[in-house]
Amino acid sequence: MRSIWENYKTEGAYDELMYSEFQPRHVSHGLCQYLNSLKKNDIDQRKIAAELAIIEMGISFTVYSDEGNIDRAWPFDIIPRIIDAREWKVIEKGLKQRLAALNCFISDVYGEQTFIKEGKIPSETINSSKNFRKECVGMKPRHNAWANICGTDLVRDVDGIMYVLEDNLRVPSGVSYMLENRVITKRVFPELLQGINILPIDDYPTQLHDMLSSLASDQNRNPQIVVLTPGIYNSAYFEHAYLAQQMGAQLVEGSDLVVNDDDCVYMRTIEGLEQVDVIYRRIDDDFLDPEVFRKDSALGVPGLMRAWKAGNVALANAPGAGVADDKVVYAYVPEMIRYYLNQEPIIPNVPTYLCSNAEHLLYVLEHIGELVIKPANESGGYGMLVGPHATAKQIEAFRKIIQADPRNYIAQPTLAISTSPTLCKGKLEPRHIDLRPFILQGADTFVTAGGLTRVALKRGSLVVNSSQGGGSKDTWIINMEGS
Amino acid sequence: MLSRSAERLYWLARYMERTENIARLVSVHMNLLLDLPRGVEMGWQQLIRINASQKDFYERNKVINERNVTRFLLTDLSYSGSLFSSLSAARENIRTSRDLLPDEAWEQVNEMYLFAKNNLEAIASRRSRVLFVNEILKGCQRFAGLLSGYMSHNHPYRFIRLGKNLERADMTSRILDLASLLLADSRSDEMRQYETILWMNILKALNALLMYRLHVRSRINGDDVLNFLLLDINLPRSVGCCVTDIADCINKLPNHDALPEKLVELKAYVQAIDTRRTTQLQLRGILDDLQNKLGELHVQIAANWFLRAEAE
Repeated sequence: MRSIWENYKTEGAYDELMYSEFQPRHVSHGLCQYLNSLKKNDIDQRKIAAELAIIEMGISFTVYSDEGNIDRAWPFDIIPRIIDAREWKVIEKGLKQRLAALNCFISDVYGEQTFIKEGKIPSETINSSKNFRKECVGMKPRHNAWANICGTDLVRDVDGIMYVLEDNLRVPSGVSYMLENRVITKRVFPELLQGINILPIDDYPTQLHDMLSSLASDQNRNPQIVVLTPGIYNSAYFEHAYLAQQMGAQLVEGSDLVVNDDDCVYMRTIEGLEQVDVIYRRIDDDFLDPEVFRKDSALGVPGLMRAWKAGNVALANAPGAGVADDKVVYAYVPEMIRYYLNQEPIIPNVPTYLCSNAEHLLYVLEHIGELVIKPANESGGYGMLVGPHATAKQIEAFRKIIQADPRNYIAQPTLAISTSPTLCKGKLEPRHIDLRPFILQGADTFVTAGGLTRVALKRGSLVVNSSQGGGSKDTWIINMEGS
Repeated sequence: MLSRSAERLYWLARYMERTENIARLVSVHMNLLLDLPRGVEMGWQQLIRINASQKDFYERNKVINERNVTRFLLTDLSYSGSLFSSLSAARENIRTSRDLLPDEAWEQVNEMYLFAKNNLEAIASRRSRVLFVNEILKGCQRFAGLLSGYMSHNHPYRFIRLGKNLERADMTSRILDLASLLLADSRSDEMRQYETILWMNILKALNALLMYRLHVRSRINGDDVLNFLLLDINLPRSVGCCVTDIADCINKLPNHDALPEKLVELKAYVQAIDTRRTTQLQLRGILDDLQNKLGELHVQIAANWFLRAEAE
């Protein structure tokens, strides 16, 4: 192979596209052949074209600081990540299974609590979860679906097996970048996509719309669906606007909505007040309704919980769904699958040590240098420790943090998460990646074909979050049958 | 349609129109100056006058000259009426209204914004300033074209038309204000010699020269130009045409009961202007009055559709 593959080393992790420096995997054959036909100069041109497209399309995430707002262009690597459709079929099934079990669990937590009563999970774990909302006890959302939109993070270990790293059930983001990444790839490599049988992804907004419609209490008329955003200053605002536009839904802020004495939600329009049936809310529970949760929230809508409890409006995800988005609860998901569905989990969990468990805690403190320590309730890759990459001082500090609040920490072995060739300064180098597929559950369940592949752009880094130097790739699910 | 969205689209349109107007004014003015001999009283200060921004200008500059005026009008972010300020404000408004507009609308405005941002320094030289202004004008035309080509003629579109026409009528009246100076009895003989060129440039500033020729079919003279730009019902940038379009939009919007009366008054006011019988001084008074009336109309539109009723 020619220059861009020079010195490509797979470095002790599973590589998604390559068996070895010289041999592409079956699924990536077409791509590698194509890349080889390009001159180095061509590759650089494509990269520049992609960067221009991103700036022109205004795909950004926003970092707001005292000096004003910085719109950072979305960091995108033009080399796609590929998964065989046969493998994907299994993963898809596993993801549906998982969300089904999670929704059974959430319904149970706010209902009979049989899972707790039968001792499958300690009741303290639920009671001490800051995402358990007592206001939600007794609620029964339509289809028993509390978590309607879920982003589940998957990683592949050196053994080639995909593991679930975490389930994001509060307000998972990233799906708009998944969609835009494909648009950019189509622009940059039009001739490449023609010859390969890649599953399309662009029906997501339609699926989202249908799912949200299925939540409306009155199924006899066209429901009024809105996307509730914290506003322009939120880092995911681009996505909120994008999804609203793609679905033909209204994008609203808290101040556009009002709950009247009839406990119905209305939006303020040029024609007066108009009733709202379904709210895809991108605001955390804490800020949703100042009457019930944080009193100082200016983002939410006073009375929203009243309207939801009266059954006059559907909220997706339902308030309180976050109780299952907790890294301690995560450890019990395989058991939930067995308990509620009477099935074996299709996608395994990463082995997890719970610091609240005395035995586990002892193990964690002894092996802290080999483990990844994560807070139970943070997102965005904040507040975690990667043992093998940490200094002695950091490790000591974490020991103290864990011991002070064991309930809020979990530990997992440091996985050698898989790599994929990534364009770095005109050459391909392996970079660690994960995958966030999006799963929808309303009347039906739907999984995106692939998802958002996030890539740690720094050499050797395992942190893929965009707020911490991560980027993304287009994800191709390729159907090899007949080729 | 959300009241907030209506407000943002209305302002988006005003800011885009303002961007285009400033670009065209500067472009036409540069051409005009190339045609005129030195000493004719038609310098860069006129551009500052049109925008009624003398105060803002002198807070930032000591001398009126080409460099200072063009920088002030085109790229000064600290002056809210500059082209770049308007374009930035348009971009903020469209960024928050993407759910109502064709995809390309946002891309178009964003592209223009990035272009302007990357070329702020270029306007120092005349040559690259011409290119800068032309690129902006083309961008505005593409934007207008894709809205009219792809956007449903729905309420959001009507709020865009409202903003656009209010801004447009205002700008046309300001340009005519400048023209009225040319009619001053005290104007020099030299100035009188170049009058045709000046009127031609007034028409060009509104991109109306060709349409004027088709309509009037005789040599250019001041009265005809004034009449055409104030009253012609077919020219998109005449005050009369803008007011008609505003009325059309308002009548098709919901909850408009409070407004038609005001509109009838405004229309009658415009139609009654008789340029042949007014002195220069009277004309200036009329145009001032017109601008005030447009300002009042804006306040009524905002009160009627944008303000969030606090006590519902």
